[in-house]
Amino acid sequence: MSLDEVEILLVEDNPTDAELTIRALRKNNLANKLVWVKDGAEALDFLFATGAYSERNMEGLPRLILLDLRMPKVDGLEVLQRIKADERTMKIPVVVLTSSKEDRDIVESYKLGVNSYVSKPVEFDEFTEAVSTLGLYWILLNKPPE
Amino acid sequence: MLFIPIFHNLPNIYNEAMKKINYLNIFIYQNLHKNLSGVIMSVDFRGQKEKNLIALLLVLGFSCFLTYCFQFIPEKSTFLANQFFGPIILVSLWHRRRIWLAPFFLAAIFVFIEIFSQRFGYLLPEDYFRLIMFIFIVIVVAFLGERIEKVRMLNDLNEKLKKQTERLEDANNELEAFAYSVSHDLRVPLRAIDGFSRILLEDYGDKLDDEGKRLIDIVRDNTMKMGQLIDDILLLSRAGRQEMKISEIDVEALANSVFEELKHSMEDRNVQLEIKPLPTAYGDRTLLQQVFSNLLSNSVKFTRTKENAIIEVGADGVKNENVYYVKDNGVGFDMKYVNKLFGLFQRLHTPDEFEGTGVGLSIVQRIIRRHGGNVWGEGKVDEGATIYFTLPGKKEDLKNHLS
Repeated sequence: MSLDEVEILLVEDNPTDAELTIRALRKNNLANKLVWVKDGAEALDFLFATGAYSERNMEGLPRLILLDLRMPKVDGLEVLQRIKADERTMKIPVVVLTSSKEDRDIVESYKLGVNSYVSKPVEFDEFTEAVSTLGLYWILLNKPPE
Repeated sequence: MLFIPIFHNLPNIYNEAMKKINYLNIFIYQNLHKNLSGVIMSVDFRGQKEKNLIALLLVLGFSCFLTYCFQFIPEKSTFLANQFFGPIILVSLWHRRRIWLAPFFLAAIFVFIEIFSQRFGYLLPEDYFRLIMFIFIVIVVAFLGERIEKVRMLNDLNEKLKKQTERLEDANNELEAFAYSVSHDLRVPLRAIDGFSRILLEDYGDKLDDEGKRLIDIVRDNTMKMGQLIDDILLLSRAGRQEMKISEIDVEALANSVFEELKHSMEDRNVQLEIKPLPTAYGDRTLLQQVFSNLLSNSVKFTRTKENAIIEVGADGVKNENVYYVKDNGVGFDMKYVNKLFGLFQRLHTPDEFEGTGVGLSIVQRIIRRHGGNVWGEGKVDEGATIYFTLPGKKEDLKNHLS
């Protein structure tokens, strides 16, 4: 898979959560063009084709960003703010997928322009259901601007 | 009055000596005359009661000494004007109590003494009169000093309270951080345990025998319980710190809507809900919804063993406070353990009998107490339980409680 035709960018620092998410997406054949980055800094590098991803073509943007909030280095809210503040990336749907159910995280995310906020269920079936639902919705059902 | 003749003789002795140093006398008089208020006020009344008494006696002794030795009070009028009103005004400016009443009170006493002595045709010697007046003044000043001391103590207490509040706020912030970390950090490994034991079952299920599958089920069952526990702890912490939005609550409608929501969890059961007319109350809607949710789901849970479950929600109005109750005909409890009913993590049933975390009624108690209300329970084994709680029926009562 070329890094220029990514469908889903998964920003998640926890490898087990990432694996569970990818597994849930794969069941719906949504994980074929997925890139997993392990923190906010790497996510920004990927999106803006800097650092380790400077070879990447900035034109090829993901169709969906799944974003965890609490991450080392650059946290999710800052990544969200950078994405929504930049002309080039602001149209990409961003779904916050986090363990936090805190009101302030939810409010802050919406203030920054998040497209959806999903709190990860603890129970595996519910988790799988939630991830595949939002994958199907944002990749297949949702109509993004051209 | 025995001591007065002794003091009465003292000035004569001292006056002889003082005449000889008249110059010094005048000098001291002029200065003290201006500064007597300062002399009295500077006596520190801070500290214990015994210390105050000693201070009072010191001032008394010192003032007697001044009065008789230096004869520095030539006329009653200037005495009143300078020595008496001076400190009074000073003190009244200080802490704006009803101290301005003090001069009138004293004036009344002076007039009374004058009239009293004239009535009996006995003219009070000038020296006695001065002494009495001075003692009064000193007592009043000491009294004022005491009051000032009280204000000072109040200020000290305020200061302490402020520090305490700061510490409490710190602790609260810490708790908030803890709750946040519980909600986030504890869920992550829990999801991993549940998810991967499930994946194990999915991918390697054919290689496991029934016992192996049973063991994995135990793992999953317990992660579910732990997830529930985390959720409940979070609810409890939120019940304690969430800001209250006060409005008039239609309790009857609230109880009804909560019960409707619970219905999906008891599709195969025969549960009858009877809601009596309930008075409206003042409080936070979300929090009170939580109260009814916890109480009604408890009732639904503990009537599970009954063929016909009956839950009754009712109220008795007592003056401004509304007493509500949620009553069921479930398994009830032994009144012996009633003190454990609202304890955090305290349970009156084993997990085999009824599932639960022992947090539900703690949450109820916390919310009701935040509304200035009270909560208590009654029960009988196998006959049911009733939980009573009070809520303010008037907005002012709740506001008074919150302020």
